[in-house]
Amino acid sequence: MTAPEKSRNYWLSAGREVLRRPRAAVSLAVILFYLAVALWGFTGWKTPDWETENFEMAYRPPSRAHPFGTDIYGRDVLAKTVYGTRVAVSVALTASVLALVIGLVLGLLAGYFGGWIDDLITWLFSTLQSIPYILLILAFAFVLQDRTFTLFGAEFRIRGINAVSLALGLTGWVGLCRLIRGEAIKHREREYVLAARALGSSPGRLIVRQILPNVVHLAVITFSLGFVSYIHAEVILSFLGLGVKHVPSWGVMIDDAKLELFRGVWWQLAAATAAIFFISLTLHIFGDAVRDGLDPRLRGERR
Amino acid sequence: MKLWLILGVVALVLLGLFLSVPFFYRPAGVGEEGVMVRRAALGAKIRGLDPHDIGDTTSAAVGGQIFETLYTYAYLERPYRLLPQLAEDFPEISEDGLTYTIPIRRGVYFADDPAFPGGEGRELTADDFILAWKRMADLNNRSTNYSSIFAGYVEGLDEFRAYTAEVDRVDYDLPVAGLRAPDPHTLEIRLVRPHNFLLYWLAHLPTAPVAREALEKYGEDLVNHPVGTGPFRLVGNYRSNRFSMVRNENFRRELYPDRAAEELAERGLLEDAGREIPFIDRIEWTVIEEAQPLWLAFLAGKIDSSGIPKDNFDQVITTDRELSPAMKARGIRLIKAEDPSIFYYGFNMEDPVVGENRPLRQAMSLAFDRETYIETFLNGRGMVPTGPIPPMIPGFREEKGNPYTRYDLDRARGLLEEAEEIAGGPIPVLRLAMPGTDTTARQMGEYFRIQMSRLGLEIEVDYMTWPKFQDAAKTRSHQIFSLGWLADYPDAQNFLLLFYGPHRSPGPNSSNYSNPEFDALYEEAIALADPEERIPLYHRMEDILIEDCPWIFTTYRVIYALYHDRLQNYYPHDFLYGTMKFQRVRSDLPDSL
Repeated sequence: MTAPEKSRNYWLSAGREVLRRPRAAVSLAVILFYLAVALWGFTGWKTPDWETENFEMAYRPPSRAHPFGTDIYGRDVLAKTVYGTRVAVSVALTASVLALVIGLVLGLLAGYFGGWIDDLITWLFSTLQSIPYILLILAFAFVLQDRTFTLFGAEFRIRGINAVSLALGLTGWVGLCRLIRGEAIKHREREYVLAARALGSSPGRLIVRQILPNVVHLAVITFSLGFVSYIHAEVILSFLGLGVKHVPSWGVMIDDAKLELFRGVWWQLAAATAAIFFISLTLHIFGDAVRDGLDPRLRGERR
Repeated sequence: MKLWLILGVVALVLLGLFLSVPFFYRPAGVGEEGVMVRRAALGAKIRGLDPHDIGDTTSAAVGGQIFETLYTYAYLERPYRLLPQLAEDFPEISEDGLTYTIPIRRGVYFADDPAFPGGEGRELTADDFILAWKRMADLNNRSTNYSSIFAGYVEGLDEFRAYTAEVDRVDYDLPVAGLRAPDPHTLEIRLVRPHNFLLYWLAHLPTAPVAREALEKYGEDLVNHPVGTGPFRLVGNYRSNRFSMVRNENFRRELYPDRAAEELAERGLLEDAGREIPFIDRIEWTVIEEAQPLWLAFLAGKIDSSGIPKDNFDQVITTDRELSPAMKARGIRLIKAEDPSIFYYGFNMEDPVVGENRPLRQAMSLAFDRETYIETFLNGRGMVPTGPIPPMIPGFREEKGNPYTRYDLDRARGLLEEAEEIAGGPIPVLRLAMPGTDTTARQMGEYFRIQMSRLGLEIEVDYMTWPKFQDAAKTRSHQIFSLGWLADYPDAQNFLLLFYGPHRSPGPNSSNYSNPEFDALYEEAIALADPEERIPLYHRMEDILIEDCPWIFTTYRVIYALYHDRLQNYYPHDFLYGTMKFQRVRSDLPDSL
């Protein structure tokens, strides 16, 4: 019996490739756990209560009632850690998506059209890239902190989480933009693109239907590797007092701990660093695996 | 091959340079024979060193070493006593109490500065005071201090103030009838009504003299180039986080005091009596805004004196409130002293939401748990306050009690309902301004937010640097703000002036409180020459404030000051800032490490 050979779906096989690695699979499980915790935080359904203070219970060490102890106001550190996960993940997610969209669009435009468009975009990202990253996000966070602006008649107020996400997203697209631009320059001269152009495809269709699918794996890799750096940036900004206000964040917890350690109160620091450690580690391992899986040149190599 | 050789040589040279750093680098003041260095830290940035506008303790701590005033306080005597400083003697006051003739001390020179011909400081004259006070009156300078010190008192000065608003270029040579210098060493002040606090103010830093040469050279930039007659002069730029002061070579001969309160004499503070001051050659200032680095620098012996951060208190102080043996063994000493001060959350009374809603302010005052606050943030170093008049100030009423400084959430809720009726609906989100961006400021802001959320109010907290915070207060842009007031002199008027209507921002009435009944009592009280007679009026004013709640009074504080025992002749003074000239740092005692 004959059967037509089915082409192996690129994404599906890449996924299988990734999950074949036990470390990546475990990492994915941990990441999904964090996402679930963040989602849980969002739903608010039976989430641990971090807001109720009880000054008589201030600075209690870990116990059965408070597995991670309590803070200066007697609030549960475990609950704060859970809420901190929500903050970190939502900031990283928003910033990643924002950076992804900007980087992808600008990179494709610059790469495909060249000329003055390319000059302009290259100038823009070169300028941004020449500023040290931390200083750049600090500057953006400062400027965006607590701003009100009007868009289409509606008033928007940027503050707290939104300001941080925006600052990170607006500064984080540079690396991806450069990559995509390079790839797009390469692809626009390829035969399949030339063929499509000869058949009368419009530039928009060419970019979206022909070039984009061939560069999008780069975006996925950047996304998975960039995610963790946004989490770190959120922690740094909150630690420095430029991040979220009035809600728990791992950065704010570490800032508190800076003083509390002298009292022998170590649990807030421990909880926040452990939370950061595991998500960072697993995102790195998983991101590496995704890169290996999606890059055809690395396919099949076990590293 | 050749390339490797070159690279190798370069690497060796770099390594050599790197390794030799320890031999050339010497931290300031270490190992210099015979140079006495005082190392001091500031917990906030300095707002500015233009004398007329000094209104905060940080600027005063630094400015107090550079500037001097006509009168001063005896450093070691208690109760506090005024002494002539730049004045030769106490003023001769005319019988009607309206003319003060003050002899200016001879042989007082400004510190050397490029502003003077040949760079050499010239002798102080009466005109330097007149210029300084006209600058304080100049509306363009927006001085914090004019309204409380001179407004309504000095003949012609208010008119001069009005004139400064009308012209583009203020002419400081324009005569003011009430400020005259019949000769370079006599200053005559003519008043329109008796000023019972004038001598206190003449001992207060903002009335320090300004040299015309400095004003002409630096103009608006004078704030960055303080030129004074004091024992020290600034080198470099005080806006940076590290700066230093050296001895003013022109400082006159002055001797260490030979009188002290008994308790202070017992502490050995008279050992240097009769010796020429200052002893210190150089002061190294460091701005450290965060509590922990400051504390660690103190423990490491890098600064000579410090307070105790809340998180280190238990480590340092035993349960019976004494210094722990471990700290004593390190050569650290403790001074505990009550401090005439009041800390509070102020409402901007011009704000339509909080200013026109007394039940709201009362409710918020009742909802603020002071006892927990004092325990959490001050380790018990404070008292629940009655009103604006703190302990140690005549007129303080310990037994009086304040119905709104108790923690009573039920009553607060009842009042909030009234408040919502007045507001015609729920109270909108309120904004609190905190004077600091450090961790402790954030925790305190958070505490306020939590307390108010128990009442059902939402608070948005803004954290700002100390200079930015003060500038915002001057322009009346706060809604609620956290602040404290330390006495400038031992009279309750110094606290009540913070509520007098004409003293509104940029004056010292940061709450912009204005109440005709209060103002009338204030005017009546300050016109009384006998301090005892003023007290019943002060009490009536305090009662009005307790009921009106323009402030949420939070604490009267107690000072716990620590210092290394190599620092000598050190003792806190409630009103005097220029105390470093009395201090000495013994070099034969090692840094306590």
